[in-house]
Amino acid sequence: MSLLSLSNISVRYGRLTAVRGVTFTLAEGEMLFITGPNGAGKSSLLRAIAGVTPPAGGRVDFADHDITGQAPEDIARLGLSMVPEGRDVFGSLTIEENLMVGTGMHAGSRGWRARAASELEAVYATFPILKDRRHAQAGLLSGGQQQMLVIGRALMTTPRLVAIDEPSLGLAPNITDQVYERLIALRAERKLTLLIVEQSSTRAMMAGGRMMLMRGGEIVLDGDARALGQSEAMQAAYFGYGDH
Amino acid sequence: MGGLMQVVFDALSLGSLYALGALGIALIFGVMRLVNFAHGDVIAFCVFALLWPSVDAVAIIFAGNLPWYLLIPFALAVGAGLSVLSEVVVFRRFRRANPATMMIASFALGFVIRYFLLMLFSSRPKSISLLPELSQPVEILGARLPLLQLITILVTITVLIGLTAFLRRTRFGLEMRAAAENFTMARMLGVRANRVIMGAFALSGALAAAIALILGSQTGTANIMMGASVMLMAFIATVIGGMGSLAGAVIAGFALGAIATVMQVILPPDARAFRDAFVYGAVILVLIFRPQGLLSARGTKERV
Amino acid sequence: MARRPSTASVARRTIVTPVLLSVLLVIFALAAWAAGSRPFNQTVIDIFLQVIFVVGLYTFIGNSGVISFGHVAFACLGGYVAAWTTIKPMMKSSAMPGLPDWLMQMEIPFWAAAIAGAGFAAFWALVFGAVLMRLSGIAASIATFAMLAMVNSIYSNWDSVTAATSSVVGIPIVRTVWPYLVAAVLSVFAAWAFSISRHGLALRAARDEPTAAAASGVDIPRVRLVAFVLSGAIMGAGGALYAHSIGLVTPDTFYLGLTFTTLSMLVVGGMGSLSGAVIGVLILSSLIQILRWLEAGVAIGESSFALPGGVQEIALGVVMILILMFRPAGIMGNSEWTGRLPRFAKPGAPGPDNRSQPTGDQT
Repeated sequence: MSLLSLSNISVRYGRLTAVRGVTFTLAEGEMLFITGPNGAGKSSLLRAIAGVTPPAGGRVDFADHDITGQAPEDIARLGLSMVPEGRDVFGSLTIEENLMVGTGMHAGSRGWRARAASELEAVYATFPILKDRRHAQAGLLSGGQQQMLVIGRALMTTPRLVAIDEPSLGLAPNITDQVYERLIALRAERKLTLLIVEQSSTRAMMAGGRMMLMRGGEIVLDGDARALGQSEAMQAAYFGYGDH
Repeated sequence: MGGLMQVVFDALSLGSLYALGALGIALIFGVMRLVNFAHGDVIAFCVFALLWPSVDAVAIIFAGNLPWYLLIPFALAVGAGLSVLSEVVVFRRFRRANPATMMIASFALGFVIRYFLLMLFSSRPKSISLLPELSQPVEILGARLPLLQLITILVTITVLIGLTAFLRRTRFGLEMRAAAENFTMARMLGVRANRVIMGAFALSGALAAAIALILGSQTGTANIMMGASVMLMAFIATVIGGMGSLAGAVIAGFALGAIATVMQVILPPDARAFRDAFVYGAVILVLIFRPQGLLSARGTKERV
Repeated sequence: MARRPSTASVARRTIVTPVLLSVLLVIFALAAWAAGSRPFNQTVIDIFLQVIFVVGLYTFIGNSGVISFGHVAFACLGGYVAAWTTIKPMMKSSAMPGLPDWLMQMEIPFWAAAIAGAGFAAFWALVFGAVLMRLSGIAASIATFAMLAMVNSIYSNWDSVTAATSSVVGIPIVRTVWPYLVAAVLSVFAAWAFSISRHGLALRAARDEPTAAAASGVDIPRVRLVAFVLSGAIMGAGGALYAHSIGLVTPDTFYLGLTFTTLSMLVVGGMGSLSGAVIGVLILSSLIQILRWLEAGVAIGESSFALPGGVQEIALGVVMILILMFRPAGIMGNSEWTGRLPRFAKPGAPGPDNRSQPTGDQT
């Protein structure tokens, strides 16, 4: 049973085509890494899925809904939570306020306050540093803490799928390790489906799961991360020699 | 002592008007980067909504005859309604346009509203007496001031406290603050864009109506141009306050009121007529040294 | 900027545009002369005046991309120069007793007043511009609006020199279309010459690619200031001639109403195009004229039908909003008339920005 399926998605900015004809499906509970060099179209693909940049062609289905060209908030409400690149925290809001923004989509339903409160406790349990500084302005956090905050904020929406763009960007390696540890633990705890964009394939190979390689707006490889990582084809495809 | 208190009250009541106007502008700018030139005409519209359409010099008070506890909600609803209508009919279609295009569109919309009023009421100012019981003088700390001036200040403080509580304590306020900072990110967390923007327009329109009631009672006239000068000062306050920062807009509004009142006192009598010109000039000078506004500590930069 | 074509060759390639626009204006003037009707004559004069104003506005907005709400202030300065220098001294001394003696005695022909108006406006454009051009974007637009309000406030209150808000009458009326035609054609050529000059090209480069232009050493505030002063001068001359077309000035003649009309004409024609500026005037003037007739009342059979006052401005506002919605670059869409078939959106011409476009990595 696939949770997310893309067929023939393309993304354009004016005359520039960033993504061309991408098709894949992602099953519930899977962890998928999308890797590839700078400019391969990875972020554009995520933005198209999340509805930020509507795709120029193709179709996206999520949880049995056609979400092609839908508004970002409607997609988020179906349970697809996007963590964009660059850790977009609301800098003037406190940490707790940042976390609470995402609970609005359940507001008004029965018992949502209690559920939001328990969700908040769960996120604090996962990232204790956030609890310690819950009333601090989010803009004052360090890069690693901000990354934890945006992941925690995505979890507050009780998503079925979390799509994360470059969680390791600008973080020290040991902080990145912590972030990944938490992500993998969360996936097991909550049966989350994860879609992670990373420039390097090293993380994917360490974490396991499925990996796809994008180059020039297309998917050139798709398979088990560890198996692919060791293959010659991976090196060839990443650096652009070989079959093309 | 009495003289000084008089100046303080004058400054506060003038500053209140500017602060309320600046809030109305900054609320909308915060969520959609629109500099709303139609705001002044929404103010005028709210005053005329209390009259029966006629081109005679004498105003036919219509809704204006309602008792105050009905009159005030009526005016606020008219302001909020017109403002939301302008969002739905016009500005919604400019969501993806650049700020300059939106700004010109709002300028055009302001003219449409103004000349709609002209069509119904003519351009002659009409004398109206709105809430006349408020013009009685009261004495405070040795200063004699009209009750209305006191009420203006109190109303503004109440509005500011209420709005702060609304933004800090309610779900909707949280969503608005998040959207003002990063609209796309807020949407990715499920915040409904249309709801937040319409909320901002409704609040802004209600603030315009509050200004309309104060101005109408203060000046005793209804004039299709009456919103223009408040709007200009409100613009200036939002720029000084750092575009989109609500607290900055309010503080700058009061500061402008204070500067204008002080100038009124210290300028030689011949020059008093040029008070506003001096204020504009002072503001332009301020902008050279702080183009991002005086109070833009927060990271709300202009996304142009 | 590897190969910059010489100004002369650019001039040769682009001169078709101002020539074509001037021919269009001459046709209008000839039509007015041939018709010989007073009201039609006046209409054509109004059109020429609007061409001057809108071309003046274009010179700044079109090249710099900064929206100005304040240019009508320069028309106000020019209009009052005409009042100060051409009204008979006897009338001046009663209406504006505060004028200095040399100005009180002055009585110059209308064309000299237009030149003086242009100079006076250019001087103040230099003063205001030196300050305003350091701002950018929305802050700059609001500051130009403050400048307009400031000038209006001064002219509405300086009783002894401007007669405050009352009309200053007695300005000699010039009823023939030719001087206005000459001024309109001159302003079209001045705008064209600026846009192909070194400053004009640098300014448009800065409009389209601010970061790149700043990096390549373009002093943006300075080139903007040049455009501001030139456009101020054109507006000043227009203001003086406007005064001569109706014989009187008031501060409110040159305030929000004229700002709105001129800006709407520029928006409808196309803010980035000189041809757009002129065509916007012609189209909207025709619309205004039709609406004026309808407001005055037309007889249809037995009954007569008249639109209420204000419909004119409402229609103008609606047209402006619709154009902004559906064709934000205006009718001409940033391209110029070159005598060939209409070209649309040259490559590299600035389209409407898209603020919701991703600002981050576009991989």
